[in-house]
Amino acid sequence: MHVNRREFLRKSICAALGGASLYSALGNLRLVQAATNQTLFSDYKALVCIFLYGGNDSLNTLVPTSGIPLTNYKSLRGGLAQTTGLHALTPLAGGGASDSANYALHPGMPELATLFNSGKAAVVANVGTLLYPTSQLQFQNGSIAVPPQLLSHNDQQSQWQTSRPDDASANGWGGRVADLLHSGNSGQIPMSVSVSGTNLFQRGSIVNQYGVDPSGVTAMNYLGDGSETWIIGDGPIDDDVTAYNALIASGTQSNVLERAFADVNSRAITNYQLVTAALQSAPTLTTQFPNTDLGNQLAMVAKLISVRSALGMSRQVFFVSTGNYDTHSDQIENQQDNLSELSQAVSAFYNATTEPALNVANNVTTFTASDFGRSLQANSSGTDHGWGGHHFVVGGAVRGQRFYGTMPSLASNKNPDDTGYGQIIPTLAVDQYAATLATWFGVASGDLATVFPNLGRFSSANLGFV
Amino acid sequence: MRSGSGMGVHRRIAFALTFAVVATTRVFASLSHFPDAMFHDGMEGAAAGPFTDADAARFIAQATFGATTADIAHLRQIGYTAWLNEQFAAMPSTEVSYLDWVRTGGQDYINDDARLEIWAANAAGTGDPSRSGFPANARNDQLRQRVAFALSEIFVVSNSNGTLAYEPWCLASYDELLADDAFVNYRTLLEDVTRHPAMGIFLSSIQNMKADAAANTHPDQNYAREVMQLFSVGLVQLNLDGTPSAGDAPTYSQATVEGFAAVFTGWDWDDPRCQDAYENCGPSTDDDPIWRLPMQPVDAFHDDTSDKQLLNYTGVALAGGLLAHGGNTQTELTQALDNVFHHPNVGPFVATRLIRRLVTSNPTPAYVSRVATIFNDDRSAQHVRGNLRAVVQAILLDPEARYGQWQNPTVFGKLREPIVKLVHLWRSMNATSVSGRVNGLTPYPPIEEQIGEAPLRSPTVFNFFVPNYQQSGEVLSRGLFSPEFQILTDSLAVATPNLLYHQVFCNYTGSEDCYGSDDDGTLQIAAPADASLAMSNPSALIDKYNLLFMSGQMSPFMKSILLNRLNAITDGNRGASTGTFRVQHALYLILNSPEYSVQK
Repeated sequence: MHVNRREFLRKSICAALGGASLYSALGNLRLVQAATNQTLFSDYKALVCIFLYGGNDSLNTLVPTSGIPLTNYKSLRGGLAQTTGLHALTPLAGGGASDSANYALHPGMPELATLFNSGKAAVVANVGTLLYPTSQLQFQNGSIAVPPQLLSHNDQQSQWQTSRPDDASANGWGGRVADLLHSGNSGQIPMSVSVSGTNLFQRGSIVNQYGVDPSGVTAMNYLGDGSETWIIGDGPIDDDVTAYNALIASGTQSNVLERAFADVNSRAITNYQLVTAALQSAPTLTTQFPNTDLGNQLAMVAKLISVRSALGMSRQVFFVSTGNYDTHSDQIENQQDNLSELSQAVSAFYNATTEPALNVANNVTTFTASDFGRSLQANSSGTDHGWGGHHFVVGGAVRGQRFYGTMPSLASNKNPDDTGYGQIIPTLAVDQYAATLATWFGVASGDLATVFPNLGRFSSANLGFV
Repeated sequence: MRSGSGMGVHRRIAFALTFAVVATTRVFASLSHFPDAMFHDGMEGAAAGPFTDADAARFIAQATFGATTADIAHLRQIGYTAWLNEQFAAMPSTEVSYLDWVRTGGQDYINDDARLEIWAANAAGTGDPSRSGFPANARNDQLRQRVAFALSEIFVVSNSNGTLAYEPWCLASYDELLADDAFVNYRTLLEDVTRHPAMGIFLSSIQNMKADAAANTHPDQNYAREVMQLFSVGLVQLNLDGTPSAGDAPTYSQATVEGFAAVFTGWDWDDPRCQDAYENCGPSTDDDPIWRLPMQPVDAFHDDTSDKQLLNYTGVALAGGLLAHGGNTQTELTQALDNVFHHPNVGPFVATRLIRRLVTSNPTPAYVSRVATIFNDDRSAQHVRGNLRAVVQAILLDPEARYGQWQNPTVFGKLREPIVKLVHLWRSMNATSVSGRVNGLTPYPPIEEQIGEAPLRSPTVFNFFVPNYQQSGEVLSRGLFSPEFQILTDSLAVATPNLLYHQVFCNYTGSEDCYGSDDDGTLQIAAPADASLAMSNPSALIDKYNLLFMSGQMSPFMKSILLNRLNAITDGNRGASTGTFRVQHALYLILNSPEYSVQK
């Protein structure tokens, strides 16, 4: 069995690399080597990335409620400051914020505050894209390399998703983890599943990402298994299937874009057939998910986790996302909507993992990511692009009810964490945040440097939050 | 019909034979997956021609939403240059009058779907029922509509914005702006876009407040950043051929963003009340004309005290790119947009993006360089910079556009966008609706969720896909780009064929097959018109669609697959409508085939 799986794996790697350049094949050799040595996992673990597109204003998400940080915050943010209706966080002894101030969550986030206060969620402070630990002096005198295109949405999204600001062609770190570990699954669908379209986070060299809709899996009418198949006749339509499959047969087309198009189509068909079959046995969950974009996406993730055995999956990386976080204007209203949606959806998802039908509360870790934090200083009704920001990790395995990392200063003048243009210089790198999650997920310490080549530049490879 | 010139027939045949030998060595199966080689190679000069119907169809595929038999005949009759001149002169289609007409017709609540309907009618050329002469009143401005759609994917505004979602008149007016400006000067387009309220709302530059020390606020930087990053110069300095300059030197810094943010203060609705009320004024109804009028300066709310760092580059007019304070709202905007316009990046930036939208995802640097050169100087007596008409002409008549399918057959081309596929079907199959409305675009869920895109419905200012997206696998490992693949998700790889399936199998002339098939507003394709040909000579039917949809580039392999499929559909299947059923299968298989899906 095991030998056969390796045999299959080598074939699939060759198929995945077919047509790839020599350079790229060599570049992936270590991952390939590690992957073929992976034994099947006996337990289940899932990572769920929630990407907040646009750049969340985490300074108004997690706000100080005491001491100098509060004074600074009010004078910094003025009319935009959140000072009422907040949900207090009560950290464990020794787990409080580094500046010893009290903190609370935005008025729209009571559910996430409850998760934190019950030990199921943690705050990771001031994470961002970095090449090296960077001080204000180093940033301002240009003596250290910093990520290119700071403050640009798409570049910073990419760098968060790859953790490789120094390599524009890098795969996503979720994809790299999947390349390394996917052979520990017995099932045939990709380890990486997106419920929110194509993303760089899950792009790997070996493992493709499979995309499903929040509403479920759609089947193809022309191939005889879609909801409108009846229009061309009932029952299997052999001639149609034969013709269509001949046209999209892998590798037969003369143009590289045609081959890529054919590959997506044939893969999509194979995967929807596998997933559709598995979902037949999905148990009914009692958790009521909010009927929001994110709520529906996470409901689908829960559903897919519920059929993990039928799919043969013991390690999965999920990607969900939501947008409208680029709050240049009308931030008060927009962030209320955004953060309520986030808090309610995350809470429902956590609750679903505790249901007996799933029973994976300690096996699923959810984390947030975003383009960047936002500017210290506001404009008339919102905030502009920033750099470092605070993030949340949620799940039964999380060492929760704690703050990790260093809170930045919110001083309006002579702020030691300010680039000089109003952005906070991160004190934790995405590499550290990601490596901590990857280590929990099963990446061996010896493989960390392969997946995160810049990790060794930072003081800690494991932030300890999970 | 034009006769071939420039290159002797025997020489063309010799070249074709050479090509055929090369092609044969790559054949795996008994039938080639390459299209048949044709009898010329481009040495005639790219502006000559078209010499064949296939050449004509291919040009039309790049320049419009798709060929009709009549288009092909007309282009062959008058030639590329005359055709382009006709198109440059064509009166633009409109959208606003359609919304007014829908309301006058008794539909009180009008959402963005109505705007999408008239966009589709204009793109497909099915006529505008709000103007006299419907249905035969389509303005033949196909090139303008196609370029305007391309521009809408660069100068992005979207109904994903919470305000614009409910303002179809505003977005219709923006569509009209792009069509009106498709062939003007880029500088004019840039200012029109900057001042349109749709952009003002989408990137929050309308009613932008200057810095306020007491409140500790600064001007909104949203438009300032994106106008540079996405509409004009991009992030890094470029060579004329579009490649990054040595060291990826950045084009601007955060100081530049702050400088432009201060410039873009003091712009408001075209309403006298705004002079005092500034952030507390605006339109009262959804068809209030100020949704469509350029924003106007309000000097009292413009930052007139700070010096502003603009773009700094070799040859910049302002010393160091620094705009000294003292100007007013309009003069500073003029100077700032001039500063952007004259940056050397703009030519290669615009050239690369428009080539990718119309012709190929992977243009050679030489192609980009030739088009950028025309952007920089249109070679007229006036030596105009930024002449978009000349740029569009340069893109379409470039040797690489005309002959890239032979020069680099395994790489040349672009994935057809799903919305373009849909309009192509309507256009080439002479779709009509009784009332002139277009129900097919307004189902639930919204069309953009079914096929990944719809005009002015991008999720963000970064468009549905970014120009440098690289599909995982062979595309990525070869260092190629494939922008449209970003929306070809596994879900849409099923949903888009299903939507096309519904259009093909449900909505044809006389159909009552599906719910809504026979509605007055349903666009029905003229599939039955080809039914008898499909029965008597299915091979000829395939040839016809090969020309209309694939510019004659269908491989012998694909032809055999289609012919086998059609021959297997016999009288027993559908009785009297068996011919139509054959037509439908041919269309479905073509529209979803890899060979058609890549426009080459």
